[in-house]
Amino acid sequence: MHEKINEKISVITKYDRMKGTVMPIKLRWQGRDYIIEKLAYYHRIREGRNIHHIFYVSDGNMDFKLRLDSETLHWTLEETTDGTSN
Amino acid sequence: MELPINRNKPLVMHIDLNSCFATAMQQANPHLRRKPLVVAAYDSPRGCVLAPSIEAKRFGIKTGMRVMEAKHLCKDVIVRTTDVPLVRDVHVRLKKITKDYSTIVVPKSIDEVVIDFNPVQSVIRRPLSDIACEIKERIKREIGEWMVCSVGIGMNRFLAKTGASLHKPDGLDIITYENLRKVYSTLKLIDLCGISHRFQARLNTYGIFTPLQFLDSPLELLKKQVFQSIVGFYWYRRLRGYEIDNVEFLRKSFGQDYALGKQTANPQELSKIIMRLCEKMGRRLRNAGRAANGIHVSIIYNDYTFWHRARLMNQPMYTTQELYRGAQLIFNQQPERKIVAKISIACYDHVSSSKSQLSLFDNNEDKLRKVSDAIDTLNDKYGEFVVAPGLLLGMDNSIIDRIAFGAVKELEDLYTN
Repeated sequence: MHEKINEKISVITKYDRMKGTVMPIKLRWQGRDYIIEKLAYYHRIREGRNIHHIFYVSDGNMDFKLRLDSETLHWTLEETTDGTSN
Repeated sequence: MELPINRNKPLVMHIDLNSCFATAMQQANPHLRRKPLVVAAYDSPRGCVLAPSIEAKRFGIKTGMRVMEAKHLCKDVIVRTTDVPLVRDVHVRLKKITKDYSTIVVPKSIDEVVIDFNPVQSVIRRPLSDIACEIKERIKREIGEWMVCSVGIGMNRFLAKTGASLHKPDGLDIITYENLRKVYSTLKLIDLCGISHRFQARLNTYGIFTPLQFLDSPLELLKKQVFQSIVGFYWYRRLRGYEIDNVEFLRKSFGQDYALGKQTANPQELSKIIMRLCEKMGRRLRNAGRAANGIHVSIIYNDYTFWHRARLMNQPMYTTQELYRGAQLIFNQQPERKIVAKISIACYDHVSSSKSQLSLFDNNEDKLRKVSDAIDTLNDKYGEFVVAPGLLLGMDNSIIDRIAFGAVKELEDLYTN
């Protein structure tokens, strides 16, 4: 099942100064916490001077597409998928 | 005298990401891996399949099928639409990796890159097969562990491309003068890149039914009878491993097209689409520092009929308004108003935007250009369509961003952004 969500969510991230990486480790959506196990892909999108960071993460049961707006620092859950057909 | 097969070392490498759109989707969404997945233009039953995953291909699903046909072949197939920024990012990373190996790296499409090792052959101290394995590893490490590619190495770009298509997925094939005939003996004419069903029929007419027969055909037959042009000479050399495809064509036009999700004959709706296409085309035209003398509009109607017209204007067009005026002028010349399925706008006959002849009557031209540049600057800063023509008011993001098939000039825009 694939769903477009587009909701603001709470995210805890981990910054590793040695590797220079930022990784979302936990997100809260609709009152439930999801522990992120894997960062599957990351890329950036430029919209004018603003940069959006796109994280594709998985908690082991579901995949999430997250967007971090670098101007407002808001996190948005864009899509979820659990790998079954609609 | 017959031209012998090129005996030079194979120094051209073709890298093809297997099922790129679908594999990238599986890379980003681990739960889609090992499952039949198709990436389609629309996820509705009549949407066109752009890329089936390696698993979906095993069910016989192919590019170009309808979604409903794919579902007939595999009822559990997962259908997704293209994640354009994701695929573009994969392409940019692939280009970045390949740039480390030679000075000549040419992207052939969003998922194909050619590396020509000829300029650096004196400094290569290892076999190209080792380099190919290293690139495969780097793709897995730097793009994603699910990404696979097929690599072909040959004396020219054609043979490298042929090599890359021999074993999919994850193949590595080298075509040399020694195994060239053996490789051709395993292929059909239609497997050769550039031979369509029509070309195949034409070759059949002259008794050429296999790639080996094609290879053994004399130059005179190909040039004077089969192709009746220089194309026959090109094929004669290409098949023997001589390079004739390393030509860079200059850009002659900028164009945008759009297949309407909701087909309509309503002129107001269509005008909005034309304006949006002109705005996108105009942005690219102005970014390149060009102005266009001509504009071309082509329309495919929902009864599969086609109409097109081009026109040269008396002044070069630079601003979106000028392009729109030209396009609308042509659009209004349609002989009859039918339901439109696809609309394409292109501008051609370019001149430098700085060399505009002053108009005797319209002295506002310079002002309009400055306003247009100011709007572009604002959109560069705050995002596309932040400042847009009034006609686009109320029009949501209904023109979907797409990736063009084939060797697209638009790839250049990716590296500059």
